[in-house]
Amino acid sequence: MFEGLMQNLVFGILMGALYGLAAVGLSLVFGVTKFLNVSHGELLMLGGYASFWLFTLWQVDPFVSLPAAIVFLLVVGAIFYKLLFGRMVRLTEGEKIQKTLLVGFGLSLILQNLAIHFWTADTRSITTWYSGAVFAFAGVRFPLVRVASMVIAFIAVVALQWFLQRTYTGKALRATVENWEAATLVGIDVQHVYFLSFVIGAALAGVAGALVSVGYSIEPTMGMSWTLKSLIVMVLGGLGSITGTFVGGIILGLTESATGFFLSLTYKEVVGLVLFILILIFKPQGLFGTQGR
Amino acid sequence: MHRIQIALTVLLIAILLVFPLVIKSDSIINLAVYVLLYVSLASSWNILGGFCGQTNLGHAAFFGAGALVARNLWFGGANLFLSLLAGALVAVALALLIGVPAFRLRGVYFAIGTLALAQILYITVGNTFSMISSIPAQDLAVYQLAPRYYLFLGIALLTIATAYVLINSRLGLGIMAIREEEDAAESLGVSALKHKLIALVLSAFFGGLTGGAFAFYHVGYYPQLTFGPEWTFDSMMMAYIGGVGTIAGPIIGAVFFVILRELLALKVAELHLVVFGTLFILVVLFLPGGFMGVWEKMRQALARRVTITPVRQQGKEVGKAEIG
Amino acid sequence: MLRVENINAFYGDLQALWDVSFQVNEGELVALVGPNGAGKTTTLRVISGLLRQASGHVFFRGRDLSKEAPHRIVELGISQVLEGGKVFTEMTVLENLELGAFIAEARKVKDESLKWVYQIFPRLEERKSQRAGTLSGGERQMLAIGRALMSKPKLLMLDEPSFGLAPILVQQMFEMIKEINRQGVTVLLIEQNVRAALELTHRAYVIENGRIVGEGTGEQLLSFESIRSAYLGDGNV
Repeated sequence: MFEGLMQNLVFGILMGALYGLAAVGLSLVFGVTKFLNVSHGELLMLGGYASFWLFTLWQVDPFVSLPAAIVFLLVVGAIFYKLLFGRMVRLTEGEKIQKTLLVGFGLSLILQNLAIHFWTADTRSITTWYSGAVFAFAGVRFPLVRVASMVIAFIAVVALQWFLQRTYTGKALRATVENWEAATLVGIDVQHVYFLSFVIGAALAGVAGALVSVGYSIEPTMGMSWTLKSLIVMVLGGLGSITGTFVGGIILGLTESATGFFLSLTYKEVVGLVLFILILIFKPQGLFGTQGR
Repeated sequence: MHRIQIALTVLLIAILLVFPLVIKSDSIINLAVYVLLYVSLASSWNILGGFCGQTNLGHAAFFGAGALVARNLWFGGANLFLSLLAGALVAVALALLIGVPAFRLRGVYFAIGTLALAQILYITVGNTFSMISSIPAQDLAVYQLAPRYYLFLGIALLTIATAYVLINSRLGLGIMAIREEEDAAESLGVSALKHKLIALVLSAFFGGLTGGAFAFYHVGYYPQLTFGPEWTFDSMMMAYIGGVGTIAGPIIGAVFFVILRELLALKVAELHLVVFGTLFILVVLFLPGGFMGVWEKMRQALARRVTITPVRQQGKEVGKAEIG
Repeated sequence: MLRVENINAFYGDLQALWDVSFQVNEGELVALVGPNGAGKTTTLRVISGLLRQASGHVFFRGRDLSKEAPHRIVELGISQVLEGGKVFTEMTVLENLELGAFIAEARKVKDESLKWVYQIFPRLEERKSQRAGTLSGGERQMLAIGRALMSKPKLLMLDEPSFGLAPILVQQMFEMIKEINRQGVTVLLIEQNVRAALELTHRAYVIENGRIVGEGTGEQLLSFESIRSAYLGDGNV
């Protein structure tokens, strides 16, 4: 029984790392631009399919093709920004959130159905020669692929944090989050900052998606579920904190696993959503709190 | 309403009434059923989402609840109309249950909160009622399409009529004031919560009623289907494309949607959603009034040319004056 | 150096500035004084590009700023310090200053600029590793000004630098501003604290209800009867 629980919790942490990564991407975009891009999950889905097809058609190892997935999502993100989201930069904060929600949702519908059209609705997964590799420790099995995914997710988040804390551009991003007027008066091109955050957020989603495709499975309709998970984690982890969000992802993963173990699978799928609603209702600031300033 | 509009409306209703008597093709009547279904669903969404400005992403919960309750009662031998009413009332109860806490959330909080709630129901129902629900053999033998059609027609007319009456009432003014500027409305003595709840209740009632009609109509389906987010999203898109916050908007959107789906179904199943999604984005970004908005602008432009000219001061229009 | 001509500016439908015109010559320390809500901040926002004027022009060193984005205007040599000295509270004093040198030209000479700012504001060097959010009001104001100086501006625009400061600090603040001007930076100053501003500056303009209603040297304005009674009589308006 105990081992069963430990196994479950381990799986929860491994999954949670990917929740965290996805959420960090969304959080970055929302924090800087106040765009609530609910097609974030579809961007993740695209990352997953990029990885899948590179592997299926040209036998490129999914971990090796990660940079390609990143580049792909940077480009896709740039296109969506220029075409759609970039037009909403000048709106008031309330309008921005509302309109990007609607636009993001329309976009997610388009992407979902195009994916179904081109790739069929079948569930896909990448199976490499090492997919079955597992190492065992204290009676608990650690699937190698998932552990590697968690490590990569962790590295990605650390890299992002380094970028934000140690580079001029990263600091410009943080300055814009705090006070875009003061930022622009220092010579920061706020438009450019918005663009950058958006495409980086997309790239992070892409990485998460690629990792999901090899350790788990992907399908065209996975977007909404992942967008919701990202939203839940964003709210759980507290806005404005990259590490907080990542940890929030792990917490969600753990919570889901524990719920699934102690209650049932139905509740596992639902517990995150319930948590989400409770936090929205009881946490006074929720998503739009003035970030403490 | 102008006399022409009244006459056209009466004519339209007359046509709709004799429709199944004249058209013998079942597939066309089924199409009409779906149009009417979506008219009701989009219009009911529009009451809360359009007129009151509260974007409700969980409308499917009402549709599903109405369907679930009505179906089970009807199968259990209860009178059809009572079953439908029960379904609608359960949807209202659900709305009140979630509405009071949900309305503590402003704007987009409300939207994603309702989405989460609907998803919870969707998943729970899927796990609890996992068996397909089919109309019993003896009922299937005497299944007739025409009554279903008239049921949907009745609900659609009722929904639209209610929306119309609501909008032209003082209550409606309060509801629309909430949409424009909630805080300002509150300071003028308009109770935001009360008005939002009324809009919510009406929206839920007709959403649930439509769901019940669906339960009466559809032969076999998994109960989870009626809680699916696509019902919400399709309704919302129809309302926006047709003209959110207008009476005719959802109607136009519904007709357009079903026709588009029919036309594109010959190619590949889901492409109509791609087209629709694109249109939706275009409307949100560039044409917020949707089809009705464009129509209004054209009408104004034409009218302006004939008798009314704008009066400009410092390059900005400050009023209109009639000439000739 | 700076020529503002016939600016009309609106917030939505509300007109905030009416035919505002004035100029600042190189090396001057000019003040724009007036009561609360007169349009002083609005004027600065138009100059720095945060607010687009409906009509009129702003010329800086011969160049029309009308079409430029705010960050470009910084590159051209104008630096504005917002009211309340908005600093980036989550970052350290040093990081704030470094961000001040964000534009390419300034980044090259960042280290020298830093020395220069520390020379004017020694307190900032003491606190350089502290989070800006932990600074006192006066220190934040200094940081905001120091940050603005890091971009090596030709024109420094200060919005109410004395706001919220204790009287002693106000005096110090103005001393520092005078010093900055002495070191070659042209300064445009907005102040509600009319007496202090007028004593400090070469020239000043008076703005009321969005219109320029007076102009002169500091001494001239100080002696105007209307100014004395309106602004210097029983406390500030």
